[in-house]
Amino acid sequence: MSKRERDEHTLAGPYAMDAISGPDRARFERHLAGCGECAREVASLREATSRLAAATAISPPPELKERVMAAAAATRQQPPAAEPRAVGRRWHARRRVRIRLVLAVAAAAVAVVAVLFGVNNGVMRDQLNHDQASSQQVAAVLTARDATMKTGTVRGGGTVTIVMSHSMRQLVFTAADLRGLPAAGRYELWLAGPAGDRPVTMIPASHHGMAGPVVASGLRPGDHLVLTAEPSGGTSRPTTPIMFDVIL
Amino acid sequence: MARGDADAFDFLYDQVAASVFGIVRRVVRDPAQSEEVTQDVLLEVWRNAAKFDAERGSATAWVTTLAHRRAVDRVRSVQKEADRERRIATAVIPYDEVAEAVEANLERERVRRCLGSLTELQRESVTLAYYGGYTYNQVASLLGVPDGTVKTRMRDALIRLRDCLGVSE
Ligand SMILES: [Zn+2]
Repeated sequence: MSKRERDEHTLAGPYAMDAISGPDRARFERHLAGCGECAREVASLREATSRLAAATAISPPPELKERVMAAAAATRQQPPAAEPRAVGRRWHARRRVRIRLVLAVAAAAVAVVAVLFGVNNGVMRDQLNHDQASSQQVAAVLTARDATMKTGTVRGGGTVTIVMSHSMRQLVFTAADLRGLPAAGRYELWLAGPAGDRPVTMIPASHHGMAGPVVASGLRPGDHLVLTAEPSGGTSRPTTPIMFDVIL
Repeated sequence: MARGDADAFDFLYDQVAASVFGIVRRVVRDPAQSEEVTQDVLLEVWRNAAKFDAERGSATAWVTTLAHRRAVDRVRSVQKEADRERRIATAVIPYDEVAEAVEANLERERVRRCLGSLTELQRESVTLAYYGGYTYNQVASLLGVPDGTVKTRMRDALIRLRDCLGVSE
């Protein structure tokens, strides 16, 4: 390996932080295209810089969201890169764009949840191990070809996001901004439908109102997903109040 | 736009807008310009959603990488000496004092602790480069050390941060 080539590899750190400009950036990008080792390293270092960014998080002014949503509504999405014979298959291409976006969104949500239930909190981690789905299970649903997403509002406060795959008969449930329940109460998730009511899981005590991701399996046609508030010991049938109900 | 797309983008916005705005604000400084850059970044995410590739990293890293790149491009395009000096002073804040400037946040606390585990040279290199928007050559002359030293310290620092933060690949 020449000295020049050795030097190239050491630019991964500066490049991952955009601490490189002009000719250096262009040169390193040419190197990256042909060096799998550097490409992998840059990707993994960017997971670290992404956390440096998250640590600065502040809510933008609410008007910004309106402006961005309005601008997005008027902006055409790019088709996926390198789509062979895309002509005459527009429907497929467009559908794929949407699925990719849902995927990106859901992956972001899972990452955010992982951060909130982070590695430092032993109690949370145990709950993750026991009550919550492994990230592989979650990822399997999110990457299903027929993955679709629904969002809804929880009575009393909070939003629910569901990504489901009917072909896998599974869904991933997450909630944000859930209102706290009295000490003896817990949220519980159910599948209800022609086949009867089945408990999915008690939702672990929410952390800043975030809950999930939880995987529910065994979806059947005509099922509803129901969220109730129950005594912390759980019940065999859903009681009241029903906080959220959606037909799947 | 289709209903499902609107829902998905709405959800994505809620998940990532604060990180995007936060890092853009930190690098760009000016509030009005930061909003502009944030809007451009989020629209670029929308336009290019199909290019996101889960095999090459998380969606949050994809979005924040884009945000940081656009923020840096903005400050470099309007770089002036006086402004540059002001930003040197602010770039170093995050490790020491930022905690009380904004609401408590577990993630911020963890990052602060991990930055604290770096050597001083590593930490200064990272904060000047990532939060201050400087190139490694500029960081080297600011800190009075050779370019090559800064390059390797940056890489070492990010590897240590990554391990400390428990980033799984
Ligand atoms: Zn290389």
